[in-house]
Amino acid sequence: MSFLSLENLKVAYGKNTVLEDFNLSINKGEFVSLLGPSGCGKTTTLRSIAGFVKSQKGKIMFKGQDFTDVPVHKKHFGFVFQNYALFPHLNVFDNVAFGLKMQKTAESEIKTRVEKMIDLVGLSGFLKRYPAELSGGQQQRVALARALVIEPDLLLLDEPLSNLDAKLRVEMRVEIRNIQQKLGLTTVYVTHDQEECFSISDRVVVMKDGEIEQLDSPEKIYRNPETEFVADFVGFENFFDLFRDGDNFKTAAGDLFYVSSVNLEKNKDKFRASIRPNDIEITRAGGEKKDNSIRGKIKISTFLGEKYQYNVETEYGEFVVNAATEKRIENDVQVNLYFPEEKIILVREE
Amino acid sequence: MNEKGKTLSVFTLIVYFFLIAPLLIITLTAFGESEFLKFPPDSFSVRWFVNVFQTEMFINTFVISLKVAVISTLLALLMGIPASYIISRGNFKHKRLIESFFLSPVLIPQIVFGFSLFNFLIIKLKLPVLSSLLIGHTIFIMPYIIRVISANLENFDYEIEEAAVIFGASPLKTFFIIVLPNISSGVIASFILAFINSFNNVPISVFLTGPGISTLPIQMMSYVEYYFDPTVAALSVLLMLMTTVLMFIIERSLGLNYFVEN
Amino acid sequence: MKGKFSYLLFLPAFLFIIFFLVVPILLTMVSTVQVDGGWTLSGYSNFFKDYYLRDIYFRTLKIAGITTILAAFLGFPTSYYISRSAKKYRGIFLVLAVFPLLTSPVVRSFSWMIILGKNGIINDILLALSLVEEPLNLLYTEFSVITGLLYLFLPLMILSLVGVMENIDGELIRAAESLGASKFKAFMKVVFPLSLPGLIIGTSLVFTGSFTAYTTPMLLGGDKTRVLSTLIYENALALFNWEQASLIAAVMIITTFTIVILINYFSDKLNPGGVK
Repeated sequence: MSFLSLENLKVAYGKNTVLEDFNLSINKGEFVSLLGPSGCGKTTTLRSIAGFVKSQKGKIMFKGQDFTDVPVHKKHFGFVFQNYALFPHLNVFDNVAFGLKMQKTAESEIKTRVEKMIDLVGLSGFLKRYPAELSGGQQQRVALARALVIEPDLLLLDEPLSNLDAKLRVEMRVEIRNIQQKLGLTTVYVTHDQEECFSISDRVVVMKDGEIEQLDSPEKIYRNPETEFVADFVGFENFFDLFRDGDNFKTAAGDLFYVSSVNLEKNKDKFRASIRPNDIEITRAGGEKKDNSIRGKIKISTFLGEKYQYNVETEYGEFVVNAATEKRIENDVQVNLYFPEEKIILVREE
Repeated sequence: MNEKGKTLSVFTLIVYFFLIAPLLIITLTAFGESEFLKFPPDSFSVRWFVNVFQTEMFINTFVISLKVAVISTLLALLMGIPASYIISRGNFKHKRLIESFFLSPVLIPQIVFGFSLFNFLIIKLKLPVLSSLLIGHTIFIMPYIIRVISANLENFDYEIEEAAVIFGASPLKTFFIIVLPNISSGVIASFILAFINSFNNVPISVFLTGPGISTLPIQMMSYVEYYFDPTVAALSVLLMLMTTVLMFIIERSLGLNYFVEN
Repeated sequence: MKGKFSYLLFLPAFLFIIFFLVVPILLTMVSTVQVDGGWTLSGYSNFFKDYYLRDIYFRTLKIAGITTILAAFLGFPTSYYISRSAKKYRGIFLVLAVFPLLTSPVVRSFSWMIILGKNGIINDILLALSLVEEPLNLLYTEFSVITGLLYLFLPLMILSLVGVMENIDGELIRAAESLGASKFKAFMKVVFPLSLPGLIIGTSLVFTGSFTAYTTPMLLGGDKTRVLSTLIYENALALFNWEQASLIAAVMIITTFTIVILINYFSDKLNPGGVK
């Protein structure tokens, strides 16, 4: 049975409808991330689960019960805010203890649990400090401790690391994942950072304009994006059209292409193909034209350190190719772009 | 910083002299021995200060002014803090309009307001004088409360309210244990500002006095009409002392920028 | 997250103001246009036909106007000076300017009674310098009222201006000077226009304050120099002529509102830069 499910949810702010007929199902113990650009509705979804935002239609079911209208303070969810939202007038101990106090837990138990949790996030010794005296990373850990100590049924995190510097972000995300796995906490995590998301999630929900583009494991999303949007999001560039030609494909100009792809829609004749810049093999033009290749001319070449990046002008548009050629290929040179058939993907158009 | 020429500096000096001198003159006069208001005084004495404390009507009206100021300020806080909260937290249409509505007492000339209240409360509704006085003061100091608290709330991170609620505090509880403690400096400052303005008020109080009920400023005014001795000067000095202490407290809790912004 | 809870928070203050501010004022205003059960503006026309009332009305306007102009003239350079001062001094200057505002108006007006009285300092100096033979009657004149009001409201003008002026980047003035403007010219061409929003607010506050003030004209103007506010008091509590008092009060409100609206209207015209 699904642990948390959003069913046909509609959420609108005045005239602006953010989510419509939104469905999502999450299993117990899972770490699910909502990933997407700003405005895609991921934060709204999270806040609807928390109850900060009311839905106009649909239901939120939790552990089999209708949680849609349960008041926020009775839900027993943990929430970690992007800007930490620590209580300025309380010290670290009291901040972390807050939820337990509201649950009317016994003083002695509060002390034990809070101190243990503060140790867990590495802040022992900071008990008496006030939020204003802490660094960003420390504040974030207090916010995390505060949410974890109440042993919530569900942990919700709203871009908790976006205000930290890069190194800290990596450290913290690993910590969060470790703690989550240790405690078996069902978690919903919102972020716009793809790498962060993929490194810690069991499943990823890629969102755009209030809709789910793809819901899969990180590996699947990375290797087999289903739509142009998701593909673009995970680093595919070079989109071009392919037309069915029997069992194979050809380009608009007729070049033959083999694609080892899956799940082809039977009725379609035109498909959107894509390939990563790293996967295209580039050579100087010459010799016979092979299948799975197109001709082009180098427009710009850039040195990236590890590789060269070429912008190649072709009859199908501009292609970006990253290649570790020994020497830079100069501008205006005619080249051959080879697309290995297992590296091409077909996606749904916008 | 030499954009100020010499002329400007001198000019400013003169203006400040104009602003400060009269108060210094009162202070010195208060210590004068003679019973005429002489400046500079010939000899010095504190007899007029003693006289202040011996004049029953000053003591009585001081107590009344104090009570009125405290009670109306508390009433204004009780009504004004929630109103400011709604105004600054809410996102409804006509927000600006509602805010202007709560600040409207400022637009009405106090003398007109005092008279209208006199007409309405005392003549028509036959309310007791003290209640009318309290009502009048509460209304006219409410804008001070609302302005200061609203400004305080502009910088308020409302996310901590959400945090409190999701961790189990009901919205009502949150208001008391999370919001209020974090606007305490605004509450203190607005209390003092409102208190001072109520204590010093004349145009409204002048209509809402009656047998046994009068305020200190009114009493000072009538004293001055009959007696021209330094007692009022001494009383003024004491009041200025009180103001200084209160201003000091505001400065401690909020800094002086509030005055500039208002 | 709010809902019904919000209205509870908001209602007491709202109702309180409606019942104890709006209603009384409306009653006063409405009573001035009702005579014997009918609606009429005759009250107002009578007001302006009455020499006595008209005189006092225009005198009050005049006093307020002069006070405002003087406040602007004195306040502008002073605020400029404060705004250009080093941060550590600015605080002190502001405290000194604000302190009078928190003192009772009775105290402030009383100090001028001491200064301008027959035995007061001014007269003492004039006599000592043999500029006059007898002490001058400086009190209970328009002069004393204006002086008292100026003393009362100058700090307000200064406060209104300092905030705006502080935001004028000093670089602008230096830029003007580098292009050939003298200090004075730079002030007039750069600082003055940019300070207009503050000046407008200050003018509004000082004018309406002076026009409606009671304590100062009462103490420093007395019976010889009456203004609208002292007239209201007199009619209400000395003459028990409540209709007259209401009428004067209504005229006062209407005038104040009109002036404020006019000032705001012209401020938009004079302020093309839209600097708020």
